[in-house]
Amino acid sequence: MPHLKAAASRTLQLALVLWAVVTILFLMFRLMPGNPMAAYIDPTFTAEQQQALMAQFGLDKPLWEQYFIYLGNLLQGELGQSFRYREPVAERIFTLLPNTLILTFSSLIVAYAFGILAGAYLAWRRGSAVEKAAIPLVLTTRAMPEFWLGMVLLAIFSFWLGWFPAGGTRPAGASYGSLWALYTSREFLSYLALPALTLAIYSQGLPLLLMRSNMLDVMKEDFVTMARIKGLSNWTVVVRHAARNALLPVMTSFAIAVGYQLQGNVVVETVFSWPGLGRELVRAVSASDYPLAQGAFLMIAVVVILMNLIADLLYAFLDPRVSHA
Amino acid sequence: MSGTLLSVRDLKVSYSVGDGKVDAVDGASFDVPRGSIVGLVGESGCGKTTVARALTRVIADNATITGGQILFDGADIAAIPERQMNALRWRDIAFIPQSAMNSLDPVYTVESQLHEVLRRRGGMSARIARARAEELFKMVGIEKNRLRDYPHQFSGGMRQRVAIALALALNPKLVIADEPVTALDVIVQRQILDQLRGLQAMLGISVILVTHDISVVAYVCDKTVVMYAGRIAEAGPMDAVLTRPSHPYTMGLRNAFPDLKGAASGTLTPIEGAPPNLASPPPGCRFAPRCPFAMEICSKSQPSLREMSPGHAVACHRADEAPVLRELAAKTETWLAEV
Ligand SMILES: Nc1ncnc2c1ncn2[C@@H]1O[C@H](COP(=O)(O)OP(=O)(O)OP(=O)(O)O)[C@@H](O)[C@H]1O
Ligand code: SF4
Ligand SMILES: [Mg+2]
Repeated sequence: MPHLKAAASRTLQLALVLWAVVTILFLMFRLMPGNPMAAYIDPTFTAEQQQALMAQFGLDKPLWEQYFIYLGNLLQGELGQSFRYREPVAERIFTLLPNTLILTFSSLIVAYAFGILAGAYLAWRRGSAVEKAAIPLVLTTRAMPEFWLGMVLLAIFSFWLGWFPAGGTRPAGASYGSLWALYTSREFLSYLALPALTLAIYSQGLPLLLMRSNMLDVMKEDFVTMARIKGLSNWTVVVRHAARNALLPVMTSFAIAVGYQLQGNVVVETVFSWPGLGRELVRAVSASDYPLAQGAFLMIAVVVILMNLIADLLYAFLDPRVSHA
Repeated sequence: MSGTLLSVRDLKVSYSVGDGKVDAVDGASFDVPRGSIVGLVGESGCGKTTVARALTRVIADNATITGGQILFDGADIAAIPERQMNALRWRDIAFIPQSAMNSLDPVYTVESQLHEVLRRRGGMSARIARARAEELFKMVGIEKNRLRDYPHQFSGGMRQRVAIALALALNPKLVIADEPVTALDVIVQRQILDQLRGLQAMLGISVILVTHDISVVAYVCDKTVVMYAGRIAEAGPMDAVLTRPSHPYTMGLRNAFPDLKGAASGTLTPIEGAPPNLASPPPGCRFAPRCPFAMEICSKSQPSLREMSPGHAVACHRADEAPVLRELAAKTETWLAEV
């Protein structure tokens, strides 16, 4: 089974990458200048009290020992205590992660669905007036800063038209029986709309341009010409052959874009006060809440690495030249 | 079944490039009798593929059929509306491309690609298409359990057989094969050609076999059409053209290729020089700059295609002297002296 072997070696590779990330994170936060506890330790504490606190967080031990304790804890899913919230980092992250993932996936699905269709259409209508007008427009959306785009959408749809709320995930004071009830409620969707739209507009250019240029390449392939010589309908030629082949790299780029998007989220989450991982990360860093920042970084890295794996698997699944090698 | 299936009359195709145009096919005329294999032979760039594709009317974006008639079963398919033309494609006129690798869609199984034409173009039900696909694979000698394989899983020769199966799917009257064996080694070439010949005879269809290799023509064709620089140089029954070539270009081609049957045919003498640039072809006979027998008139007036003996036509001012020229052409020095 060359298949399994390839998958196994890929997984091992990813495990190594993950270990490297974990180690870099560890070193980054330990070797930063200043006492990591500075923000947490009240200057009025006595030296003994400070010492006791350092011991409580394990900071009095030598670095290598801290490293192994850290690895051991990670393996058990133990990410430490947040300085600021005084609650386990893992708990904090797992309440924020769904918000971030929902925002990321909903915006990317919209962006890719639109980008793929529009890109295929523009390739098909190559040289038309529509295409000539559309390409500069798409390039403009790629060049607009996200925060600016977010503000514009906020100004129009929230402050001016009043169609959508300005920020957060739910009306003040509203409570829901379960997370599921929250995420499926109409209010949640109306809170999601603007930040997701911002990210979707920002992200649609990549799949659109990629799809278009792939289509243009594939349309020159012999098998597309043959499909025409076979007398197949225009639809069959363009969709079943050209678009299906052009789609391969676009689909893999989706998985990679998810990881990429998590970083883009930081800005949009802040603009829309969206309680996600990105916004929390920024706040944790500026408040010197190292355990939380480290946990958030780690979580983002895990998602990025995971999505890369999924991209590979997806490609193998979609391209018979890989899956039936 | 006799008579002429396809008759190409004064066909002209040009490509627009930049501000200019290339007259890649400039007045080609030839006939394809029913139930025969016609070889369309000539050097690279002489316009063979352009002719072949013009017959399907699926041509490059920058190409235009600027003149002539394509009489298929009596009707001029150069002039019929696109919708009518499309109805003929694959049902009546099928195509075997040079590289089956690139002309099969890599993401579908060959079965799915057979079913595509059988169902979408042949209107067959799924059940009948399945049976037909198996039958086609049997015809080209591939085991039916390979139907579910993807194109990249076949060897070059096998892929070419798949392409033949695809072409025969809807029982066409005419199959145009554009360099179907060029990419293959000689042994596989012979197998594929044998198979093509066998199937053609069994089904009684007509085949246009495009090739730059005159030994391929000698191996399977009934009739030969020799093209040079966008025009027909000589056309006629295979034996007549190859044993008694009457155009100096055909004589030169005979010297330039080894025999596919493996028989020793003396030393190989290439024709010196290269075909003319079709953007600005020479006046008169286009072969004149390379022809060892060129006279003054050759670079002044264009020789027209004249019938020398029944079914054997030649476009050369000196066609009447052919027996003498043939003797000279057999000598290597003749070809070295020129250019
Ligand atoms: N799309 C195109 N645009 C411009 N010129 C073209 C185009 N396609 C072919 N040509 C030119 O037309 C001429 C005939 O080309 P064609 O492909 O028909 O030749 P061929 O005999 O099939 O050659 P080969 O043996 O290389 O396949 C050549 O001079 C070629 O450069
Ligand atoms: S017409 Fe003249 S130049 Fe042309 S092939 Fe005949 S002899 Fe040669
Ligand atoms: Mg060609």
